[in-house]
Amino acid sequence: MSNPVIKFTNFYYGYLNSDLILQDINLTVEQGSFTVIAGPSGAGKTTMCKAMAGIVPAYYGGRYAGTVEALGEDVKGKKVSDLAMRVGIMLDDYESQLVSLTAGEEVAFSLLNHGFAPSEVEARTQKALSDVGLPGRENYQLDELSGGQRQRLLLASVLAIHPEVLILDEPVSALDPDGAKSLYELIHKIYKEHNMTVIIVEHDLNSVLQYATDLVILDKGKIVAKGPFAQAAKITYGYPNLRENLPELWQIKFNLEERFGITLGEWRQEADAVSELTEKFKGGQRS
Amino acid sequence: MRITAFTQLILVLAVTAWVFLLPVPMVATILALELVLLLYIKHDRMTMAAIGALTVFTGMMIVLQLLFGSSLYVSLTGGLRMFVMTTAFLCLLAATKIQDIAQALVEKFHLPCEYAFMLTTALRFVPDFLTDSQTTLDAQSCRGYSNRGNVLKRLYSYLAVVKPLVMRAVAKSDTLALSMELKGFGANTYKNMAPQSLGLLDYVVLMLIVLMSCYPWWHKMF
Amino acid sequence: MIEAQAVNFAYRRGEPVIFDISCTIQDGEFVALLGHNGSGKTTLSRLFMALDHPRSGQVLVDGNDIAKLEPADLSVKVGYVFQNPDLQILEDTVFDEVAYGLKCKKMTEGIIKKQVADALTAMGLEDLVDAYPRALSFGQKRRLGVAAALALQPRTLILDEITNGQDEQEKEDMMAYLRKLNEEKKITIILITHDMNIARKFTKRVLVLNDGNLVFDGATHDLFDGKNNIEQWGLKQPVLSKLGAQLGLEALTPEEFCQKVELKAGDSK
Repeated sequence: MSNPVIKFTNFYYGYLNSDLILQDINLTVEQGSFTVIAGPSGAGKTTMCKAMAGIVPAYYGGRYAGTVEALGEDVKGKKVSDLAMRVGIMLDDYESQLVSLTAGEEVAFSLLNHGFAPSEVEARTQKALSDVGLPGRENYQLDELSGGQRQRLLLASVLAIHPEVLILDEPVSALDPDGAKSLYELIHKIYKEHNMTVIIVEHDLNSVLQYATDLVILDKGKIVAKGPFAQAAKITYGYPNLRENLPELWQIKFNLEERFGITLGEWRQEADAVSELTEKFKGGQRS
Repeated sequence: MRITAFTQLILVLAVTAWVFLLPVPMVATILALELVLLLYIKHDRMTMAAIGALTVFTGMMIVLQLLFGSSLYVSLTGGLRMFVMTTAFLCLLAATKIQDIAQALVEKFHLPCEYAFMLTTALRFVPDFLTDSQTTLDAQSCRGYSNRGNVLKRLYSYLAVVKPLVMRAVAKSDTLALSMELKGFGANTYKNMAPQSLGLLDYVVLMLIVLMSCYPWWHKMF
Repeated sequence: MIEAQAVNFAYRRGEPVIFDISCTIQDGEFVALLGHNGSGKTTLSRLFMALDHPRSGQVLVDGNDIAKLEPADLSVKVGYVFQNPDLQILEDTVFDEVAYGLKCKKMTEGIIKKQVADALTAMGLEDLVDAYPRALSFGQKRRLGVAAALALQPRTLILDEITNGQDEQEKEDMMAYLRKLNEEKKITIILITHDMNIARKFTKRVLVLNDGNLVFDGATHDLFDGKNNIEQWGLKQPVLSKLGAQLGLEALTPEEFCQKVELKAGDSK
């Protein structure tokens, strides 16, 4: 049963005084999917995220054509803050998205503005902060938090809203590999618990390989590949200059499939690759 | 028991009026009280630095007045007045959370919410800007800019920091505005906050303020 | 040559962040400085550049204690490039930007022209001499930061997270330039990074910091052999390391890996 939460139909967009950033975008993101958007710098990934949250074109103006629907409704004419309660978005410049002086106020801000009861706000704030690994830090001033902690704080403020769709633009850029791993584990856990739809822009697909159900590759404003992860990855591999956007495991997978004319499984972790390769090339013998 | 931000604001405004209404010895007493209060609330390096800076500034003002031909008495009292007023603001900032001040401004003084929020935003970004400007100063240094010894040279190097900082501020403000829009900032923001209601101590202080402000009149009676 | 001898450091009124670190970086090395967020790697690199001074212990550059020096004094020997390129842009044209340090050192016009040209060519920015620095792409700005440090012709470059936030192609480009500097001009490169792949592919030696302690100082090859438990230090074994360790096939790129698989399969026929 198809249940699209985001739908782009023939969407084109250019900011004021700039060339077209997005061209001929046709994309459907299904409810419950974990979609990863990747591609070279400047491909338009951030603009695409903004379009999904109704920020573009409404907030920035500019030229556009086509439609973007979020949760079944056209985003045109919708108040950006209303949509934000159902489609939570975290942009890559996390510093400038933090508006308050303390961590607690930051998480509570959106909720208070939308009239949630103070007791509810407090409960959600506590849970959100402890979920992202900042328990009890409600009274911490922003300048007492490191870059990585601020990024997690922003995530907490988005999670506290309990949105149906979560859009994250490079959510782990300020975190070290360990921090990135924990954060993605957390996002996946919440995604499963609340049956959300998650859309992530990420450069390093290795870190989300375990979780991605769908993949979209953007290059110079156009969609080069889209669909279930394995399919989209295979299409991407057909473009030699875009191969490095794929996770290394899959670059190896397709390379070996080409060399040996075989089909390998859908590896999600190194262990999968190791066991299959050991099996297929058991004791060096091709099977 | 604490007095609300509103009462504190009224008090600061009152002090500003008192420096003109009350005789010099009383104004000097107010100054002494302010300094004691300020140091009691916050005796960290920044506060000391702020007091120091104000003293220097006041000194400069007094010298300027003298140069323009005012008598010593006028210059000194002028300086004293300015010092008392600015220290009052320092006390306000030290004693109250800026969010409470902003809320009082919106609730009681009917300041539009955007302007009130600017206070919070300014404070929120000041530490970031200080860190950023330190990075720019470090970068200058690493490229060979030495500001050893020469105070003027030091000041000049700080100037070079202004441009990158301003550009960064402009870029940030764009995303910040978007972010506030996304989070539903507006008239509701301050309406939905827990209201700051006036307590007994507030009314007592307000009455005292009124009393003190009427000094020129009842002073004549005695 | 940069040497740290039993260095300890804490920020003013703060907790100690560097505990008793000793290490030596020889001329011409290509070293990665790794560690989790907050491990002290940036702090240590700042000590190398005299941006901060140790509480105890010494930092020596070319055999001289730098305790009394400031970064400007070291700028002709050691170049430092910060993570955020926007904060380092000081002038309005690329030329002026790269010439900044040389002007501070009061070099003659002839020397300035030459050294700026060399630096721009080394970082692939010759065509952008008159460009407005803030209009450049992120990758170009990053290279500009390196060129500006390079103009003073230091023997060592310290780079803080120089590939953070860039896509694979840009990362490869930047590292290719750095490799060239190291191989052709024998410039010592100290790279502070989170990116294990970059560290593995391009550096020969790694220093790993964990909670302010130096826990590993050795060949990159040994750190990423897939057998060390580097996760305890907040690091991540690159994919190819893990595969390599378990299948006995060492490779630095997926292509190389697959070639080796093919060879091994072919050998055992």
